[in-house]
Amino acid sequence: MVYTKRHIAVLIMGLALLALGYCTELGLLDDVIKYLGTSRSKPAMITLPYTFGAIGVVIGLWQLIGLHRPGGLDYINSALGGALFILFVAMLIRWFLDPLVAVWSRAVGPVFGGKYIHDVFGLNYIVLGIVAGILLVNTVGIPSWAQNGVRLSRLGLKTGVVLLGTLYFLQEILHLGTASFTLIGIFVLGSVGLVLWMGRLMTVSNSMGGVLSAGVGVCGVSAAVAAAPVVQAKSAEIAYTIGTILLWGVGCMFVFPTVGKLLHMSPEAFGAWAGTGILNSAQVAGAALAFQPDGIETLKVAEIFNITRILFLPLIVVWLAVWYVRRETAVNGAAQAQSVGAMAVSAPRVSVGRVIVDKFPLFVLGFIFMFLLNLTGVFLPKGVSANDLWKGQYFDNNLKADRLLKDKDVDALRAVADKAKRSDHKAALERLIANKKVMSVSDYHALDGLSASGALSKEAKAVVSGARRSVMHTPKIVGWFRDWIVWLFAFGLTGLGMQITIASLKQAGGQPLVIGGVVGTIKAVGSLIVVIVFAGLLGLSTL
Amino acid sequence: MSVKAERRAADMAPQPGRDRPSALRASSVLLASHDTEGSRAAERAALDAVVPGGRLHHLVIVPEFWRSITGDGWRINASTEHAFCDYLEAQIEREILEHLNRVNAQARARGIHYSASSEHGRLADCVVAASEKADYDLVMIGAPRPKGEPGLRSRLDLDRLTRALRIPLVVVPHPGASRKRSR
Repeated sequence: MVYTKRHIAVLIMGLALLALGYCTELGLLDDVIKYLGTSRSKPAMITLPYTFGAIGVVIGLWQLIGLHRPGGLDYINSALGGALFILFVAMLIRWFLDPLVAVWSRAVGPVFGGKYIHDVFGLNYIVLGIVAGILLVNTVGIPSWAQNGVRLSRLGLKTGVVLLGTLYFLQEILHLGTASFTLIGIFVLGSVGLVLWMGRLMTVSNSMGGVLSAGVGVCGVSAAVAAAPVVQAKSAEIAYTIGTILLWGVGCMFVFPTVGKLLHMSPEAFGAWAGTGILNSAQVAGAALAFQPDGIETLKVAEIFNITRILFLPLIVVWLAVWYVRRETAVNGAAQAQSVGAMAVSAPRVSVGRVIVDKFPLFVLGFIFMFLLNLTGVFLPKGVSANDLWKGQYFDNNLKADRLLKDKDVDALRAVADKAKRSDHKAALERLIANKKVMSVSDYHALDGLSASGALSKEAKAVVSGARRSVMHTPKIVGWFRDWIVWLFAFGLTGLGMQITIASLKQAGGQPLVIGGVVGTIKAVGSLIVVIVFAGLLGLSTL
Repeated sequence: MSVKAERRAADMAPQPGRDRPSALRASSVLLASHDTEGSRAAERAALDAVVPGGRLHHLVIVPEFWRSITGDGWRINASTEHAFCDYLEAQIEREILEHLNRVNAQARARGIHYSASSEHGRLADCVVAASEKADYDLVMIGAPRPKGEPGLRSRLDLDRLTRALRIPLVVVPHPGASRKRSR
């Protein structure tokens, strides 16, 4: 079978992207860009459309005039149109719709506690992308030439998580890892157990309880899909479970950022809450980026929690398999005792090792690999060693003249010079005043301690903070990864939106909806309380 | 196309609370059902309607929503997703076969020639397409289930179906409707 469709759409999209890049370069869109306040995006609005427009034209022409034969290359070729389609939608949303919504929202004025509508509800390019995807698939539908490519959004998200590995530093992983294993351990195991218990109470079948507990307890649809064959779920049970999870996940994506903003949560606390409380992993990323669209700190925390959760998946699947076999054996044993010759439902044999190997998410290995690679210092510029890395950044005080302290900054520091008590603080401050820049990594840390000691005036503190920032740099390639991660998540989540159909959502109902709703709410509210009350104990900042 | 349905005046009189004998007689019926309570009522009605020696073709449609059932789950490996899709396909096939075997046994007992097929897609379109493949007297389907009755939500678009069908359509009432009334 040949998958590639001879359709002009990909060529048209490629030409449209080239036209967008060309119009932006010529300045024809300057008025629009000024109105939308997106001048910072202008360079990207030229390079990205040019790059992907050219790719689109080449692929479009090849799809139209090339000879397509069945095979792997044909399938890849057929998927590229859909990938370009998602990217096209994501670009339009990020550069035009998202800022337009912000402009309209500001025009309406502050509504909740001095905040604008788009801030409160997290209406940014990520949420709008998912919503646009959902609207597209449920109204006009995904065109046939794009259908294969829409599934590539999963690859985009996985690549995003793999690259995200470069943005963590060791202390951060250790610190977040402890908090995430504690929280996820409690809430995953707790909610799986709670669903199984409620299922027994409400006399739902073992297979229904099994597939629902995986979905509600671990990571939504992914877990339900992984567990369904193991617990031999019936088709209707799968539909009910996935419908319930999707409905819950889409709701959480809007509710969580709104609650987080109303409670003035810190990115770290919100990331921990979203990573624990939201059932579906895609919606975790969506909520994190909705909460903090202009930074990646919330996403980083949320993804650590998300990855921890996915690491629990093989264990939960093994647990469910053993649980299912025992329950079915007990039920069938009792049935056989009552009626000799009764047909016994055969429970599957469980190979623990096989389940763990099969269900272990490979992209997590990619994430770990990139994290370790970053630790080796391979992304650092020449002449900088891995020992110079501090919290993912490296020290370099070869500054241009305009980055050195100004005279008024030096005056502000001189005014507090005698306030420093510790000798190392005092020496570091003196060197900063003399050289107008931080002179070493040890000075960098000493000045941090001086700032935290409370000895400095507000003005001096700001100067020290600025001076410290100017000598610590993110490796160029890691900065590049950071930009791409945002695009990969925008691409992936817009594409995932295109796979959420109302027909699937509508399957939510019956006992699974009741059980899922109760346990989901307990999980969301419980994790919020734990994150807020025990933030200190978990080492999470709340402000 | 010959419609051999004859109405029996006596059977037409409504008798609340009692199962009525079939008011229809046909030699060739297309039955569209998918093992829900409503469609089981349609199956009973179809078996009653087909005369001995007549033909009953059973169409089972796998609704479109299964295509997007993996939704936004993206964390699993491709192999796990493939395993799930294979499992789901096999499970749906198993459920359909169990269903067809049951109806087949009932049809045989009544001396009805039974055949079956399954399609995937829009329910109404599949029924219309199947109705045009042979010379059926009528199409029988179950009514949508009343509100509050459990079941998957994949409604047949009656408007679309009735506009496109070229043979009579019989919609058999859902048993839940009479339960609701009797309450």
